[in-house]
Amino acid sequence: MICENCKQRPAKVTVTQVHNGEHFERHYCEVCANSLHPFYVEYKQDPLSLHQLLSNWFNQADQIVQQKQQKTLECDECGWSIERFLEEGKFGCASCYESFRPHLPQALKRLHNGNTTHIGKAPGRLGEKIALKKRIEAIRAQMKQAVEQEQFEDAAKLRDEVKDLEKQLAGGGDDSHVD
Amino acid sequence: MSIENFLDNSRSSWMEGEGEHSDIVMSTRIRLARNLNGFRFPLAFTEDEAHKIDQSVSSTLLDADEELQKNFTSVHIKDVSELGRQVLVEKHLISPKLANSPNTGSVLLSEDESVSVMVNEEDHIRIQCLFPGLQIQQAYERADTIDRLLEKELPYAFDEQFGYLTSCPTNTGTGLRASVMMHLPALTKTKQMNRIVTIISRLGMVVRGIYGEGSEALGNVYQVSNQTTLGKTEEDILADLQSIAEQIIQKEREARDALLQHSPNTLEDRLYRSLGTLSYARLMTTEEAARCLSDVRLGIDIGLIKDIDMSILNECMIFMQPGFLQKYAGTTLNATERDMFRAKLLRERLQKGEKDNTKGEEPA
Ligand SMILES: [Zn+2]
Ligand SMILES: [Zn+2]
Repeated sequence: MICENCKQRPAKVTVTQVHNGEHFERHYCEVCANSLHPFYVEYKQDPLSLHQLLSNWFNQADQIVQQKQQKTLECDECGWSIERFLEEGKFGCASCYESFRPHLPQALKRLHNGNTTHIGKAPGRLGEKIALKKRIEAIRAQMKQAVEQEQFEDAAKLRDEVKDLEKQLAGGGDDSHVD
Repeated sequence: MSIENFLDNSRSSWMEGEGEHSDIVMSTRIRLARNLNGFRFPLAFTEDEAHKIDQSVSSTLLDADEELQKNFTSVHIKDVSELGRQVLVEKHLISPKLANSPNTGSVLLSEDESVSVMVNEEDHIRIQCLFPGLQIQQAYERADTIDRLLEKELPYAFDEQFGYLTSCPTNTGTGLRASVMMHLPALTKTKQMNRIVTIISRLGMVVRGIYGEGSEALGNVYQVSNQTTLGKTEEDILADLQSIAEQIIQKEREARDALLQHSPNTLEDRLYRSLGTLSYARLMTTEEAARCLSDVRLGIDIGLIKDIDMSILNECMIFMQPGFLQKYAGTTLNATERDMFRAKLLRERLQKGEKDNTKGEEPA
């Protein structure tokens, strides 16, 4: 069988889509399958159903079935369901990230070489906030070490420092820098 | 500046043949994807939302300071003819996706065409910087400046864990796509590209041909870009691309030397035949033009062909495309007419280029 899309390479991947209760089978080569359905393609001989694909995707077979029975996961802001996200391979709005948060690391991992957390640049004030948080974490670690080594005076100093920084973080006090 | 200036001019600053390694790296592109809080992404938004986004992005950029205001032109896709849109795509100033969003899309173009800020493409904002040669850091810094300018005024959609939130999860995180466009004729002729593509993809980078649809890269021009945007800092993404680009440049140079050493006469013959074809042919398809231009470019790079300026070749790659040809002809052309007109333009341009360059030079 020849790939339905490029009509050149042999079809190796079968994608089963469910639309309004009807099943559609599509046969693609690996190249086209990857570009058309980067999200739920599995290289297996047997055609997979959407259900199986989704559960492989989440690695949590039961959960999806349960969700089907209850209520499907939806974004409050744009109304997109998680199924729609998977089908389009795109988000409807920024709040989708919040709505589908628990499932995203699994999905992002595949696309980003195992990574799930941003470590790059952050916009202005938020960037400062994040830097502050990281500093607090670092000082807490130092504090713990000081306690373990029974250097309680140092630990107390560090604790005060953390308190100050936390105040800064909560108040968003931009211009009171504590060193 | 009016949109007509951008459409009439087949040259952009990135074609000037400057920048490091410009014999192999044609251009460097940086793209940052950004979205605004409080609006749905373009796949799901209403025209009203689109209009508000457009307004706030344009006014932020244009009101920022006088320099920018003078420098940038705001263009609504709906105000550009279909042919005009195609020309903007062929010049790499806008993406095909934006060209196909006539109701909601717009773009802010800098006068030298090195910066274009696309509004309501797949994301609300796409900042693109296009520089000649290998200038990854420089292009990024330019994009970063625009980004910081916008973020001061506009609430970006950002999440502590996921970074910049984008419509497509392949851009989540930094939203940064850095790419270099490379002319790799010797690696292609010596059949090393397949191996290189495999190795590069294992390193988290993507290689693809940029002109044409088929598996063969038209004109031996390839684009190398980062695949992952999450879990790496901007600096690391740029440094990795830099290092891979340098290694490919090195390999291409080795392959060129090998070609020259093994079969100098065959190579010279082939490259000059291509120059002959470009100079005299009466019908020229895109594929043939791209192949011949690639040969002539290689001839110039290795010093075999001396009297043609490199920037003319970059320009030829752009204006031989269907949209540009028709813009030049001032009328729509069918495929055969296009092949005829393409041959004519290339002929004229190469002869003009030769004259311009030999002027004032000592006869050899
Ligand atoms: Zn295919
Ligand atoms: Zn949403």
